[in-house]
Amino acid sequence: MERMDANCLVGSWPFRKAGRSTAAELRKIHGENGIRCGCVASLNSIFYSDPFEGEEELHEDLKGTEYRQVMTVNPALPGGTGDIAEGVRRFGIAGVRIYPGYHRYALGDPCVAALCAELKKQGLPLFLPLRMEDERLNYLAAPRPLPVREVESFLSEHRDLTAVVLGARPHEIESLGGELRSRPNLYFDLSGLKDGQFNVERLVGEFGDGKLVYGSLYPLYCLKSSLLQVETAEIPDRSKERIFSGNLLSALARPEGRTAVSG
Amino acid sequence: MLIDVHAHLWKGRYEDDKKTILRLAEKYHVDRFYISSLGSLYPDREEIEELNGETRAFMKEEPGLVSGYCYVNPALESSLDTLRRGIEDGGMSGMKLWVATFCDDPRVYPLAEQCIRYGVPILVHAFYKAVHQLEFESLGENVARLAARYPEAKIIMAHLGADCYTQLKPVRNLKNVSADISGSLYRRGEVDYAVKTLGARRVLFGSDAPEANFLVNRGQVEESGLTAEEKALVFGGNAARLFGRSRPAAQGGGKE
Repeated sequence: MERMDANCLVGSWPFRKAGRSTAAELRKIHGENGIRCGCVASLNSIFYSDPFEGEEELHEDLKGTEYRQVMTVNPALPGGTGDIAEGVRRFGIAGVRIYPGYHRYALGDPCVAALCAELKKQGLPLFLPLRMEDERLNYLAAPRPLPVREVESFLSEHRDLTAVVLGARPHEIESLGGELRSRPNLYFDLSGLKDGQFNVERLVGEFGDGKLVYGSLYPLYCLKSSLLQVETAEIPDRSKERIFSGNLLSALARPEGRTAVSG
Repeated sequence: MLIDVHAHLWKGRYEDDKKTILRLAEKYHVDRFYISSLGSLYPDREEIEELNGETRAFMKEEPGLVSGYCYVNPALESSLDTLRRGIEDGGMSGMKLWVATFCDDPRVYPLAEQCIRYGVPILVHAFYKAVHQLEFESLGENVARLAARYPEAKIIMAHLGADCYTQLKPVRNLKNVSADISGSLYRRGEVDYAVKTLGARRVLFGSDAPEANFLVNRGQVEESGLTAEEKALVFGGNAARLFGRSRPAAQGGGKE
């Protein structure tokens, strides 16, 4: 059964020594846990004044691996959305991640609408982390939490955009249930399933096995914490296969005949 | 050996929570759960009686699996009597302090002294929050003051204090304090940091189930850089030693 990680990162998280990883380290821990590849984003890009510099680093770090690069974009920056075509051309990016809570804009802002238009033009999915760490913890920085209502409203306005919601807690996934049930191009990852027990069984029962993708949020969270939840879940192997790779591959599939659009 | 030193029954959910704990035990081969029952933040005597009654009922139903903490509200005059009945009559194994008072409130002193006489651990909820800190929610410094006053008390600081990077240092030189990893935060590296700060013999496995996910906590220990021996201590060896009814080594030194 192929295993892919939809939510992993390399680079340095500035608040903790443990929050850093290189592509080599990622490959090692993935290999130890039977994960062949995944969608990798840059931690550095979140904090660089020009996120694209982090993407150039990430591209170098991922060279020669099977990992797919997911590009971090701050659409509120001048020219930020314009970097997407460049990312497609130079790095063959598999998708785009945004961080409204860290970069201080709202999902309803015009800059996000422009970003979504570009993603649709390029046929790329949006990876949307609701959080990177528990909001209660960090005394150095207080990113704006991304309310589920804001996310729901955003998703309902962009129904033709493929989106992977990352780090949602079980109750937040349930709150997005209406959107999840009514469209085929919306997915969520496992990294936020910290509350309650037997979440994978319950969510598969509620939404089917076509919505959940395996994502670890490594190196900020423990990979095993999310992995064990799928491995031990009492669901058919066919469903596990979809969670571990099939659903992510569907999310990444670009529309027929779509090639990079530059400029 | 797998011992979970921190799990709960929540008020009004006895049957559901019991079923969940039993399923966790069976599915993940847990040898023992140490349970406390919780409800409102500032419970009165009646509620405390009801909650401890539920813990005792579960202990009675599953003596081979479940041990109980006696939950007390130190602000109540009846708290010492509650503790006495819980330990002496109910066969409970420790005392649970939550958020009704700080753990170093003078009203806790007679309770701590009684726990020393019984030789039972005190499980202290300690949880740093950058936002929404509760009025009497203990932090590492509160735990340190209680532990320094009572070096013979066996204290378990819950949740690694939530932010291990800021909450463990106050207790690192107090050898009568252990810390459990239970909670809902789960950042990678926390178990390694806790062991680096306190030593492997002072870190305990706990899940905070059924509210918090059991496997997420287990994954944190499995993925840590601890040796097999250190993992065995965290997963159960330390708890087995701590809940043996003996008095801890007197305070002194740093990590073991």
